Amino acid sequence: MTPKRLLHAILLPVLLLFAVQVSFAQQKTITGRVTDSRDGSPVSGATVTAKGSKVATSTAADGSYKITVPSATSTLVITGVGFATTQIAAVDNAVVSFVSTAASLNEIVVTGYGTSRKKDVTGAVASVSAKDFNQGIVTNAIEQIQGKVSGLVITTPGGDPNQSPLIKLRGQTSLLGSQAPLIVVDGIPLDNADQFNNIPPGDIATYDVLKDASAAAIYGARGANGVILVTTKRGREGQTRVEYSGYVTVSHQAKYFEMLSADEWRNALKTLNIPAGSLDKGVNTDWQKEITRTAFSHNHNLAVSGGAKGFSYRAAVSYLNQQGIVLNTGKDQIGLRFNATQKALNDKLELQVGIVSTTTNRSLLNYGNITKIFNTPPTYPVRNADGSYFYFSDFEQYNAVAHLNQELNKGKEYLSLLSGTANYEIIKGLKVGVTGSLNHLGNQTRFFQPAFPVEGNVNNASNNTYNNDSKHGDFHINYLKDFGKHSLGLTGVYEYNKFESNFQGISSQNFLVPENQDNNFQGAIDAARTRANTYRDEFTLISFLGRVNYNYNQKYYLTASIRRDGSSKFGANNRWGLFPSFDVAWRISQEAFLKDATWLTELKLRAGYGVTGNSDAIGPYSTQLLYGPIGRYYDAASGVYPQAYAPVQNQNPDLRWEERHGRNIGLDFGLFNNRITGDINYFSDKTVNLLYNYTVPVPPFFINTILANVGTLTNKGLEFQVNAQVVKQKNFSWTLSGQLTFINTKVDALSGTYQGFNVRTDQIGGSSAVGRGLSAYPITFLKPGYAPSVFYLPHYMGLDANGHQLFETANGPKTQDQDPNPTKKYIDPSPKMLYGVNNNFTYGNWSLNFFLRGLVGQKIFNNTRLDFDNVNRLPGNNVTRSALTNGIKDAAAVSDLWLEKASYLRLDNATLAYNFGQLKGMQNLRVYVSGNNLFVITPYKGIDPEIQTSNTGSSQAYLDVSYYGSAFYPRARSFTFGVNVTF
Amino acid sequence: MRTKFLIRSSVATVLLIAIATSCTKLDQKVYSVVPESEFWQTPAQIAAGLAPAYQALTNITDADVRDLNEVSGGGILVPTRGNDWYDNGNWQALWTHQWKPDLGPIDGAWSAIFNGIGKVNFTLNAVNALSSKPSNIDAINAELKVLRAYYYFLAMDMFGQIPVVTDFNTDPAAVNNSQSRSETYNFIVNEITSNIGALPDKTGETYGRMTKWGANALLAKLYLNAGVYTGTPNWEAAIAACDNVINSGKYSLSGDYLSNFAVSNEGSPENIFVVPFDKINIGGNNWEMRTLHYQSQLTYNLNGGPWNGYCVTADFYNQYDNSDNRKQMFAVGQQFGSDGTALKDAQTGLPLVFSKYVNELSNPTDTFRLAGARNVKYHPEAGTSGGQSNDMVVFRLADIYLMRAEAKLWSSTDLGGALADVNMVRGRAGVSAWSAGDLNKENLYHERQRELAWEGWGRNDAIRFSHFGDARTPGKPADADKHLELFPIPSPEISANGNLKQNPGY
Repeated sequence: MTPKRLLHAILLPVLLLFAVQVSFAQQKTITGRVTDSRDGSPVSGATVTAKGSKVATSTAADGSYKITVPSATSTLVITGVGFATTQIAAVDNAVVSFVSTAASLNEIVVTGYGTSRKKDVTGAVASVSAKDFNQGIVTNAIEQIQGKVSGLVITTPGGDPNQSPLIKLRGQTSLLGSQAPLIVVDGIPLDNADQFNNIPPGDIATYDVLKDASAAAIYGARGANGVILVTTKRGREGQTRVEYSGYVTVSHQAKYFEMLSADEWRNALKTLNIPAGSLDKGVNTDWQKEITRTAFSHNHNLAVSGGAKGFSYRAAVSYLNQQGIVLNTGKDQIGLRFNATQKALNDKLELQVGIVSTTTNRSLLNYGNITKIFNTPPTYPVRNADGSYFYFSDFEQYNAVAHLNQELNKGKEYLSLLSGTANYEIIKGLKVGVTGSLNHLGNQTRFFQPAFPVEGNVNNASNNTYNNDSKHGDFHINYLKDFGKHSLGLTGVYEYNKFESNFQGISSQNFLVPENQDNNFQGAIDAARTRANTYRDEFTLISFLGRVNYNYNQKYYLTASIRRDGSSKFGANNRWGLFPSFDVAWRISQEAFLKDATWLTELKLRAGYGVTGNSDAIGPYSTQLLYGPIGRYYDAASGVYPQAYAPVQNQNPDLRWEERHGRNIGLDFGLFNNRITGDINYFSDKTVNLLYNYTVPVPPFFINTILANVGTLTNKGLEFQVNAQVVKQKNFSWTLSGQLTFINTKVDALSGTYQGFNVRTDQIGGSSAVGRGLSAYPITFLKPGYAPSVFYLPHYMGLDANGHQLFETANGPKTQDQDPNPTKKYIDPSPKMLYGVNNNFTYGNWSLNFFLRGLVGQKIFNNTRLDFDNVNRLPGNNVTRSALTNGIKDAAAVSDLWLEKASYLRLDNATLAYNFGQLKGMQNLRVYVSGNNLFVITPYKGIDPEIQTSNTGSSQAYLDVSYYGSAFYPRARSFTFGVNVTF
Repeated sequence: MRTKFLIRSSVATVLLIAIATSCTKLDQKVYSVVPESEFWQTPAQIAAGLAPAYQALTNITDADVRDLNEVSGGGILVPTRGNDWYDNGNWQALWTHQWKPDLGPIDGAWSAIFNGIGKVNFTLNAVNALSSKPSNIDAINAELKVLRAYYYFLAMDMFGQIPVVTDFNTDPAAVNNSQSRSETYNFIVNEITSNIGALPDKTGETYGRMTKWGANALLAKLYLNAGVYTGTPNWEAAIAACDNVINSGKYSLSGDYLSNFAVSNEGSPENIFVVPFDKINIGGNNWEMRTLHYQSQLTYNLNGGPWNGYCVTADFYNQYDNSDNRKQMFAVGQQFGSDGTALKDAQTGLPLVFSKYVNELSNPTDTFRLAGARNVKYHPEAGTSGGQSNDMVVFRLADIYLMRAEAKLWSSTDLGGALADVNMVRGRAGVSAWSAGDLNKENLYHERQRELAWEGWGRNDAIRFSHFGDARTPGKPADADKHLELFPIPSPEISANGNLKQNPGY
């Protein structure tokens, strides 16, 4: 559906070009060239139309156009995706400086199961096209729009090339399920957002972000986290283009923790009168630097596109080799993408195929290795004099370099997306079609750890294979018709989705021949140590949806949609859900009373309401009572250890999707002939039927939690997006664009009923502080009336005469030994405002772009400093420099002392480019240098204030930890040199 | 045109309707799990279905339940060593009796016990609902109910008034703890006595399962504490239950005290009811890790460094005569590698010498890392780092002898028999026999401490002998009143079930 509509948009100008072949009596031929106002680079594919006629052409790869128009034509209109519509005099040899604007009102916006022009959109939809993507090295394609869209928060929780960014649209909507929006690539929904890691960034043309519930409601039970529609680049009839883009990047660690150097360590011991003894091996080792390196990366993307009459294609191959700055980490990725469109039967039948195949080899980091570098004394060598590793072993201590270099920890992922669409136009305006797609993600991981001298461990290995397969089919029908000033669009879709996954894992230890690593599990000395684990599951999702778009005279708009989703994951009592939406819009600028306000180019008021769902927290069989293996028991009769079987969950036949009820009011504006454009949105969303594993009493329940729809939470926010062409001169331009987001998320309730029983939970523990003597007790909570992950901490009140930390208690300041029950306070760590600001300057063929991104009001619990800012760790563990001066003499203790302000401003990217234009043998050449993460301004005392803000895997929200296997992969500062060539 | 349109749109409509009606089935197959109706089909499946009721025991013997009973009862001490083992003040609160209803390990203990009860109730319901029940259904029911009685005994002993639910299908809104502790006591005793006849005798197949003799041992525990639970002692019944075990002739004291806890202790003639563990198959026995020092890895050839936590006080350690072979359960003094080298604490460079003195609850100095005698009663298993294979003992014959002696002493009946029982246990320990003058409650309490150190009876015994509220070194003042003899109902449980009433004093 989506590709079809997009293709139409692209093909239309081409078709019109053919129409022009018919000779007119009175004609003139005009040539010219369209260039990007920012960097002077050619703009291809822009549509050039003779005003007042249907004659049109599109620009070639070098931005040139040649159009034969009626001689009466005085004005040419130039339009293009991502650019403001420009009118020029119909004169020959014009060079048109085309102004890019993400918020341009005529741009085509993909809205899910269809497209629309920005000016006709009634929901809160943001679009970013390739021209505005973040430059330089990106680990995951989604980072191309990091900080660009108000309300869309993309957090890269460190510098790991294999890490998935965390994506949150308009706040947290689920306590248990994924926060990531549904990502739809060319109309094919990805099974989960992490699969987007395997889409090569260079293939992407635009992102359309469906922000409000009314826009996302068309995705029903999968839409509550919002939807990001990704459109990839496509070919055009008649032009064969060869494009190459490539870059090389050098990265190094941006910032280090201030740990003691070996000499500082020796001096500290002298001052403290601690004998170093055998701990001083006489060397100076900076463990942070020993595990990192200057990393080199390179990326190449080669694409061929073109086509003949009725046929178009684009084929691209891309290769990325990205070294991580931590030893023995990184990835390489080979991607193939092919798409093609063929028309037949007088262009009434249109067939499209798309093929994506990506293979990613990952060298993964065992995060436990990073944590050891902070514990190890700086006086231990990495290697002995003879070059062999120096081995040592103590609690949370070993030679991290030896581990990083000798452990095998790899993953290999295969993503393939195969899709095909057939559309047939029955009569003008009425199209029916079918789409089918197959989605496969395979992941093979390999692990081997040798036995290390002194450590006493045994060698061990594991191999795991995960397969996720899904198939999608839809039948769709579209009808578009204008009746005078009335314009009507109807869409109906039936959709079938089936998801299957399976897993095979094998592990063993103590191999006779360790050189075989993970390739010879039968070589384990004790066969009983070899273990196999497998599982397989599936679920089905079936949907019906319909949408009506109506507008009167492009002035009054009304959109209504309804979707009915059924899922086999839902409980037997709640199999089907209904997700309606309703939008109205009023283009005030079209009204007669504003006719004289020439400064006002566009003004549109929008309001919408919609219901979306999230069922991510529900497993395929969560609702049922099913028996599975739960661990082994001893059967004395046979002397063996069989598996015990039991259900692992309380059954809940009422289980259903979480439901987000969203309201949005928005204003789109364009001023001074769209030199200033932007939008403002206010939203107020409430999520009900919130899923969580709520505590229930045992007995009568046989497990003390039940997954149930009980809680509610709200998200409220205000978003601004603006794009201004501040200076617009022939040789010099300055474009300023930015976004600002205010967001407030609050848990309203965690209580409700399950089958008549009051499920009551007054608060739910979240993150726990990590470190010696800090065994798991939560310091963040889900608590009604507060933001998710609200901290609950004792208040630090200084030190007593002995250097013991004092905390507020009912009886005044006390140490933790004097009163183990200090007064605690709730503190909200979430950022209050997020922003991104882009500046773009062009001067002749030069362009300079820099992008700043940041947030205000965030707090992070600096668990790393809590652990290492403590002089008691000496001499056996290293400490930070501040441990020597902070005066703390007692054990590390959790308090608000470590909850630090962590607002930040990051110069995310700066790019300087020179555009050579047309050169011999090439249509265009552009070279650039780019820097990523050039500086961060923050009061935060850790190494980076951008960390995970949701509990994901072993990571904990708002907790910066480098202990017990939790660590921050240091963020890199990178410099890139790149080339874009079109032949 | 119009006709064509009609035809085409009709075709489309038909297609749409066809799809809409035929493709709305939300099919779903299960693969690696099975519905209840497809389980319980074979004897092996029935055994695997009953096993979870026992599996819950692995979360009790070396976990919060044991820790609550031993730390609060003065057996195990977990001092804060430098930055280690502060753990939210949990260990100090348990030692000094300053716990509150939100103390994590208290809810951990409650959850572990009631998890067992929940599993039994579920299993009873499932197996009795089968259309063709197993032929030994009566024996199965009896065994599960007596196992549940053990879980209820733990809950009633620790928390006093508890919710008693025996039917899986009970309305959750009706669950409360209004039943008095003595009513619950009677319920538990009745569950055991009315089902004991259907329980199996000790055979090669009953290792790790509830037998007639395990049930008698449990009865003995209940009767011995009847005075605590109901206000009315029942010493005669305690003696009778002990007699049943001893006179069965199925058990005998093993010659070597420590062999009952060895890595391979399944051959012990003394152990009556155990929880099996295995280094490969059943994890949960982490004894070696909790008590030993990081470098003790080299003494016992472990795969990873232990955690340097649990120890005993000097007072506890000093109860043992040097000739007492039970004293060998403690590691004190210089520790050596398996190759005979004298070990050092790698982080401080100090010689790895475990001192028997623990003078504070918390101390950041490097010597304090080595404070306290360590308990290796369950001998560390080479090649493991936790998850050792020693099966953990719930009931054993020496306890039965000491219980019988105690009941006779309290009731002043057959004091000669009581003395003989104690001296059997002392004789095996290699210490001199008591004379009649030595047989008093104070001595017997200490004998139980020496014999049953860290086996989970510390609090239970201390309450019975009125020692629970004593001041202890280091750092524990005497309790102001007796409300601490019951743990509070954990606050998360009250939060989850508003019908639960808190114990007095909390």
